[in-house]
Amino acid sequence: MSDRIYLGLPGLATDVTTLKEVFRYRVNMYTIKEEREIEPETFAHLVSSTLYEKRFGPYFIEPVMAGLEKTPSGAYKPFIAATDLIGCLNFAKDFVVAGTASTKLYGVAEGLWEPDLEPEDLFETCAQTLLNAVDRDAYSGWGAEVHLITKDKVIKRTLKGRMD
Amino acid sequence: MNSFLTRYSSTSPDADIRKAKELYGEDEEVSEMMWGSAGGFGNLAKGVPSFKIPAVADPSSFLRMHTDDHADPSCRIKIKHGTTTLAFRYKGGVIVAVDSRATAGSYVASGTVKKVIEINPYLLGTMAGGAADCQYWETYLGIQCRLHELRNRERISVAAASKYLSNLVYSYKGMGLSMGTMICGWDKTGPAIFYVDSDGSRLKGDLFSVGSGSTFAYGVLDQGYKWDLTDEEAHELGRRSIYAAGHRDAFSGNTVNLYHVQQDGWKFIGNYDVSELHYNGPGDNVPGAPGGGYGYDIRVEGRSSSNAPA
Amino acid sequence: MDISFALTGKGYVIVAADTTAARSIVKMKVDEDKIKVLSPHLLMAFSGEPGDTVQFAEYIERNIRLYQIRNTYALRPPSAASWIRRALADSLRSRRPYSVNLLVGGYDTSTHTPHLYWVDYLGTMSEVPFAAHGYGAYFALSLLDRYHDPEASLEDGLATLRRCLDEVAKRLVVTPEKYKVKVVDKDGVREVEI
Repeated sequence: MSDRIYLGLPGLATDVTTLKEVFRYRVNMYTIKEEREIEPETFAHLVSSTLYEKRFGPYFIEPVMAGLEKTPSGAYKPFIAATDLIGCLNFAKDFVVAGTASTKLYGVAEGLWEPDLEPEDLFETCAQTLLNAVDRDAYSGWGAEVHLITKDKVIKRTLKGRMD
Repeated sequence: MNSFLTRYSSTSPDADIRKAKELYGEDEEVSEMMWGSAGGFGNLAKGVPSFKIPAVADPSSFLRMHTDDHADPSCRIKIKHGTTTLAFRYKGGVIVAVDSRATAGSYVASGTVKKVIEINPYLLGTMAGGAADCQYWETYLGIQCRLHELRNRERISVAAASKYLSNLVYSYKGMGLSMGTMICGWDKTGPAIFYVDSDGSRLKGDLFSVGSGSTFAYGVLDQGYKWDLTDEEAHELGRRSIYAAGHRDAFSGNTVNLYHVQQDGWKFIGNYDVSELHYNGPGDNVPGAPGGGYGYDIRVEGRSSSNAPA
Repeated sequence: MDISFALTGKGYVIVAADTTAARSIVKMKVDEDKIKVLSPHLLMAFSGEPGDTVQFAEYIERNIRLYQIRNTYALRPPSAASWIRRALADSLRSRRPYSVNLLVGGYDTSTHTPHLYWVDYLGTMSEVPFAAHGYGAYFALSLLDRYHDPEASLEDGLATLRRCLDEVAKRLVVTPEKYKVKVVDKDGVREVEI
């Protein structure tokens, strides 16, 4: 969504595209009107209210968000959040998962994640969690992508996942 | 309601009989001679298998009500499903290739299932549908084929073996058995394949594919099939077809198991990881294989439909 | 159930659709054209719920034409496909959604690149090198994974399409007898015999 906000949209493919377009539009309008980039937490609320707009005929999407938020001292702090399909926000300190493989993701993440991981260790944890969970889910897979977001740079890695 | 009461009351005559059974131990189906040697086939003591049936009015619809995830995806008991299996006859014998994934709903319960059942050194059976049904009845078929051999001093023909299985599953028709199998082998008449399913169908043919991924396998198989295939080409075709199904069908995949049946019985050719086949192919210098990964993106890497002037 | 295929090759897109219009167990028509020419370099094969298909296709056709009249130039394939997808996605959440599946094939004259989009009635869109709708997809996709070549000549591309049609004829219980095949390339749209 921006240099330091990333959004994952697992769910019904048509809504993935529609919501991608909606969020792109709304984030752009915010940036133009406010003349600054949107903060992760603000964006999370934007996601939440966008989904709640369709409370009685929801988008079938359970978004996950990750980013870096600015602290008052000017430093950056990791931020993750997820919502359900009608926008109930869940700000987590450890990890958030979603999608058809979410039950499997919980299991692996619960086992592998620990606090204060270094960037490359966090990447490895995240990649292994994802790969191993999707291999146990018939509906997920055919490749995977991991974005490692640090204050200096974002590294995108395309994982060589199972293709069956 | 009455029977419900008597079953749980502690004073009725039924209860007395129940207590007596608990004290002295009685098993109606299994004689004592069978213990320790029956290997799970204890219910064959009388020669004909018999199964305990749930005490409800209509046992098969009772079972279906709680296990059919097509009719009701939220049902709690999920029976393992989803498969691709294929077998074809050609001048060099029979090729049998299967995947190895077992799914229960969306959950990949196992990626290392043996879906080729080695009935005896000359007969192979494939497994699609209910994993337990296929495993049990094809092992049972193996017992019967051996007995046939001992009684008649001659190996059973593929036709007879498959007919035995077909008649057997037909006798359970409507009870919820679920199997789609190919009985493959080599007998006096040469290589043979019979497709047998739990509806009671039994078809003789040159080329079959069974399971949720069968259409994808057929797509590749039909286009590459001819009678005069070399052994290497035939292996490649079987492997490539199961890969295609593993790639396209969510409920098939993980690995390919490849068998070749010739005059002197079947031979296991190999186990191939579907992802490995996608990225790298079956390995270096495999005769019959084009070389390189099977995957579309791997195969066409660097090629483009664009007509733009360079 | 109707069957449609499409595939790209070096500088072209081939779109094929069967020509039967059926109602219940009866064939009502055997030469129905289910591929619309939306603009000089854009084709759209449509299938799905009878009634919805033609209504939706004509709605799209008129609006793409309107854009061309207003702006003097036609939408390029990616933009046209995107607009069509949104029309379906919005329709999905309406009181009576269109049940129409599409294959949108076009040639972008400014980048000299063929584009093919697979779109279903939910508004799911994906740009692909080859595509199929209907039961044909179950047989053809694995075959195309094996035989499709993005740099194939038109002749080879049509031969690959022939394989798909043959496979469907061989394995599908009820097979369409005829297909209409259209090609779009730098010279525009034309119909070819298969």
